[in-house]
Amino acid sequence: MTSNNGESVGARTCVASQFFKDDKIGTHFSYNMFSVLTHQVVDLLNQAALIATDSKLTVLKQVQELIINKDPSLLDNFLDEIIAFQTDKSMEVRKFVIGFIEEACKRDNELLLRLIANLNMLLKDESVNVVKKAILTFTQLYKVALQWFVRSKVMSEMQEACWDMVTQMKEDILAMLDIDNDGVRTHAIKFTESLIITLSPRTSDSDTPKRQEGDISLDKIPKDHPYIRYDTLCEEGKSALEQLLKFMVHPAISSINLTTALGSLATLARQRPMFMSEVVQAYETLHANLPPTLAKSQVSSVRKNLKLHLLAVLKHPCSLEFQGQISTLLLDLGMSQNEIARNTPPINDDDDKEEPVAPSVSKPSSVPAAQSAIDLTAEFLRPLLSPENVANLVLISMVYLPDVMPASFQATYTPVESAGTDAQIKHLARLMATQMTAAEIGPDEEAGKDEALDDSLGETSKDLLIKRKVPVVGQAISVVGGGYTEKSQLETPQVKRLPEPILPSTQIKMPGASGKRKVFRLADVVQPFTDAQLEKMTNTAVKRILHSEKAIAQSGMSHVRVKLLSRLVCQFEGIMMDDVLEFILEDIRTRIDLAFSLLYQEYNTYLSQQPAGLLDAYDHCLFTLLAGLQEKPEQRDGLFTKLVLEAPLITESALDVIRRYCEDESRVYLGMTTLKELIIKRPSRQFQYLHVLLDLSSHEKEKVRSNALSFIKRMYEKDQLRDYIEKFALNYMQLLVHPNPPSLLFSADKDTEVASPWTEETVRQCLYLYLSLLPLNHRLVHELASVYTEAIADIKRSVLRVIEQPIRGMGMNSPDLLLLVENCPKGAETLVTRCLHILTDKVPPSPELVERVRDLYHKRVPDVRFLIPVINGLEKKEVIQALPKLIKLNPVVVKEVFNRLLGTQHSEGSSSMSPLTPGELLVALHNVDSTKCDMKSIIKATNLCFGERNVYTSEVLAVVMQQLMEHSPLPILLMRTVIQSLTMYPRLGGFVMNILSRLIVKQVWKYPKVWEGFVKCCQRTKPQSYSVLLQLPPAQLTSVFERCPEMREPLLQHVHSFTPHQVAHNLFYELACNSGPLVEENSTQDSEEKMEEPVEEPMEETSTEPADVTDQLKDSIAEPETDRTTEPETGAGDAE
Amino acid sequence: MPSHPLRVAVVCSSNQNRSMEAHNILSKRGFDVRSFGTGSHVKLPGPAPDKPNVYDFKTTYEQMYNDLVRKDKELYTQNGILHMLDRNKRIKSRPERFQSCKEQFDLVITCEERVYDQVLEDLSSREQETFTPVHVINVDIQDNHEEATLGAFLICELCQCIQHTDDMENEMDELLQEFEDKSNRPFLHTVCFY
Repeated sequence: MTSNNGESVGARTCVASQFFKDDKIGTHFSYNMFSVLTHQVVDLLNQAALIATDSKLTVLKQVQELIINKDPSLLDNFLDEIIAFQTDKSMEVRKFVIGFIEEACKRDNELLLRLIANLNMLLKDESVNVVKKAILTFTQLYKVALQWFVRSKVMSEMQEACWDMVTQMKEDILAMLDIDNDGVRTHAIKFTESLIITLSPRTSDSDTPKRQEGDISLDKIPKDHPYIRYDTLCEEGKSALEQLLKFMVHPAISSINLTTALGSLATLARQRPMFMSEVVQAYETLHANLPPTLAKSQVSSVRKNLKLHLLAVLKHPCSLEFQGQISTLLLDLGMSQNEIARNTPPINDDDDKEEPVAPSVSKPSSVPAAQSAIDLTAEFLRPLLSPENVANLVLISMVYLPDVMPASFQATYTPVESAGTDAQIKHLARLMATQMTAAEIGPDEEAGKDEALDDSLGETSKDLLIKRKVPVVGQAISVVGGGYTEKSQLETPQVKRLPEPILPSTQIKMPGASGKRKVFRLADVVQPFTDAQLEKMTNTAVKRILHSEKAIAQSGMSHVRVKLLSRLVCQFEGIMMDDVLEFILEDIRTRIDLAFSLLYQEYNTYLSQQPAGLLDAYDHCLFTLLAGLQEKPEQRDGLFTKLVLEAPLITESALDVIRRYCEDESRVYLGMTTLKELIIKRPSRQFQYLHVLLDLSSHEKEKVRSNALSFIKRMYEKDQLRDYIEKFALNYMQLLVHPNPPSLLFSADKDTEVASPWTEETVRQCLYLYLSLLPLNHRLVHELASVYTEAIADIKRSVLRVIEQPIRGMGMNSPDLLLLVENCPKGAETLVTRCLHILTDKVPPSPELVERVRDLYHKRVPDVRFLIPVINGLEKKEVIQALPKLIKLNPVVVKEVFNRLLGTQHSEGSSSMSPLTPGELLVALHNVDSTKCDMKSIIKATNLCFGERNVYTSEVLAVVMQQLMEHSPLPILLMRTVIQSLTMYPRLGGFVMNILSRLIVKQVWKYPKVWEGFVKCCQRTKPQSYSVLLQLPPAQLTSVFERCPEMREPLLQHVHSFTPHQVAHNLFYELACNSGPLVEENSTQDSEEKMEEPVEEPMEETSTEPADVTDQLKDSIAEPETDRTTEPETGAGDAE
Repeated sequence: MPSHPLRVAVVCSSNQNRSMEAHNILSKRGFDVRSFGTGSHVKLPGPAPDKPNVYDFKTTYEQMYNDLVRKDKELYTQNGILHMLDRNKRIKSRPERFQSCKEQFDLVITCEERVYDQVLEDLSSREQETFTPVHVINVDIQDNHEEATLGAFLICELCQCIQHTDDMENEMDELLQEFEDKSNRPFLHTVCFY
């Protein structure tokens, strides 16, 4: 480094000394010019070192202009200073340096020796743009160098080393055809093109551009040059062409590279017609095999280019031989016959079109040989292309057609117009031959290979597409083919002679020269993909596998695909999973295998990551599948059940889906069956599943609820589940003790305030499950009682309403129910009563029940209401004993009691069960001790009896009256009953007279109330009662008249109508005639009022009784009143 | 690439409407832009479809403007031709023919397939010297004012994207594919060499 620096310093002093020399020797003018220029350059260079890139470039360009064009003599002096900028940070400056090198070397070839190594360095620059520029410059300098070296007859060691380096750089650039940068490849192609032109002989028919007239080409290279060998160059040229052609058939070639290569080939064909055969063949191959990677618009771009270049080739006079192939291609590319004809060069004296015998023009010998492979195959195929064979070929190839039409085919397809003609068959044969040769098959394959072996170093390979030869150079693998190898091997020991680059002081020393040999390392050529690229590629790969379902199924490898997919998806988490799931859901019936495979794979992943593994992926997978199934319209194939039951694990969210499924009214049965299976078959988590089912038992939808309940009832039979279910039910019921319904009773969507009051609905919700279990397990009833005692009144009412069904289901023989009755917790009396009622509603009470109730009544809660339900089970005396209490109850209850006793409630066989006959009942009522019960209640009770007309027939009433008569003292209500019986059954009149008569015997007047009723009865039954009245003793008859004076006259008349005999027998006649009404009127008035009041009162009360009863009673009430109102009149009449 | 502004040529057939619209926008966005036509003559709509106004490429926009004002001021105001010429003459003096220009570009954008073909033909018929690549892209634009404006914006966006690439040649293919998808029209694309 220092030496270099010193050298440049030395160079400068040298310049300075030169100034002095020139100063002395040169003219004043030249000195001035020179010195001014030098100063200017120095100045500019100093500036350039300091200023920013943009202006630096301007300054440097000025320097270049000065030292190359204005005064090239300065070039040598300032060379180092300029070259020092090659390490500048700015890529543009480095590019400038390259441009400078080019200009400088062109101006002074000698400089190549010094600058070539610098160019070599820049060729390996990190910036692709610098590399590109270096390639462009080297393209020019290669020719310059060759020309220069060829001219010098004797080569110095420096020159030899320089040429070796040039050769090395050439190889490096050719190797860049494989680099992964599109732009660099493009430049490498152009270099290759130029190289091939240079390293091949220009012939008379070459179409050389004017500007390149002077360029060197192989034909100008002397075959006796001491260092540069004609043969080697010739080989290098051919090898370059081979590489270019090989490059072109790469299946993944980019559109731009392809375009570039097509252009290069056209240039080659025009400038070196000897290669026309290869070029046309390459075009043919390409046209038939457009790279599948091209997009649609790229295909059209490439085709456009192909057309353009084909035309350019066609215009060349040497295309004659290939006109047939070119025009076929052009026709295929959509050009009209006319246009083609217009562009075809006029045929000279050679009109032998049919026989493509090489024209006398210097045709390279390679042409026929290269043609042979395809031509031979084509010739071989042509007679075989019979319609039958072709049809078979088409049929066979149908199988291999891709699913989607490739863009290239779509673009290139033109309908075959001339099918079956000779020309078309020929074309077809050729197309097939191209393909077959590419695939290395054909009739001449053996021969061709032999030939290739024979002269492997000779002609351009017949088999352009054979595998790349990979010669091994030491440990490095050269990517360059063929003949070069030996030479480079020979050269290796001389490598050290390669020129050193001019190294600026700041430059870090280059690694050893041997290192410049490009060693192939995979890592250099391969770049890691970006994450996005990777993801995209994996995604598309998985998608391809995913969507190739049918194709794979046909080949019977579905299971492999399924396995592959599930593994891939699990490995690469992310959106692929969703794609696959979506795909499965599209047709889950046929893709269920994949679904399971995926599930198990995910689960497996989870297990393998234990204990820290997350279930997320698995959960997501299962959830999506289940939810997807749930959203689908109903299917009857049981896939949902299958999926649930065969999934390795049911996650929370999956359980939610199952729950939702159960809540769907149309699927509730299926959902719950699934749930049931889960509960039974997955014991480890059965309670979790059971809980869901239990939750559903209080669901607001009736269908869901009832299904859940019936499933639970079945579950309940299983011992291991029983406790849990019971506990749940009881817990739920326990909620009733809260003053307000807890929020858990409300489904999430109902935004109810927590403090809302209990409603019938919420109460029921708490009880559904419990009540359905109750008939299965009677013991539970005690829990209800304890909850009941704590609950508020509203809840109690609701409970009483809902328990009917289950209690009835338990039946009165249930020991637990009996126990409940026996214990009857405090506060649960109403509950117990309700139970009793329910039990005895339709059937008579069992003795056990009666026993319990009786016990309860006597020993603990003397509430007569307990007795009502079992009243028919009691003994007669017990009933009679309870009767006073019973009839004091609320009228509705009393009515119920009577219904029970009279058997008017139960449809069958109940009346016989009643401990009291109706008659006995009525009698018992009359005998109720009035101290224990007020008269009002008794009257109401008797009225109830009279209401039951069906039961209390006239016979029954007669018996009752008869029995009452026997009692002593006479029951207070006797006469009331008599009157009422009479009202109901007027035909009882005779019987009543008999009663009245007997009452007289019993001295009825001793019982004021009864007496009063007696009189009233007589009054109503006149004239029948006259005979009874006449039986009264005189005092009593007087009393009657006092009470009812209006009776006197009719009775008198009655007596008058008697026969004398009868009169004689009648002691009362006189009385009837003599008693003066006026005397006693006032006193009777008083006593009557006194008497009537107590009777009247209960009568009024009865107006509240049921209709049919009231009607009858009204009469009896109306009676005394009418009496009273009419009294003064009659009284007045009497007074007169 | 980013260090110097992209040298762009926009080419249509008469260097009047589409290329000028794009020229206008691109130069406003700081591109080193020139515009061209490829036709043998400059053609402007005339009183009837079969009677266009034909000028050669030497005629300035100013002259055309005056000529048309003289011929039928109302008609040419109506169809926007005068307005267009007015804009054009403020950008440059006269239309230019692509085939006559020897300047080198990084990017040539053509406005219809026929023009693209002509550009390609011209470029490939030139003698190659430096092998510097030039990308040619065709964006199909219908020859009316509205489409020209829309097309110009598309071209501008495309140029801006290309300008911002680190390695234009390497990323061009992908970029164009994206643009094709986005604008839903196919782009022809090729590379030629000077």
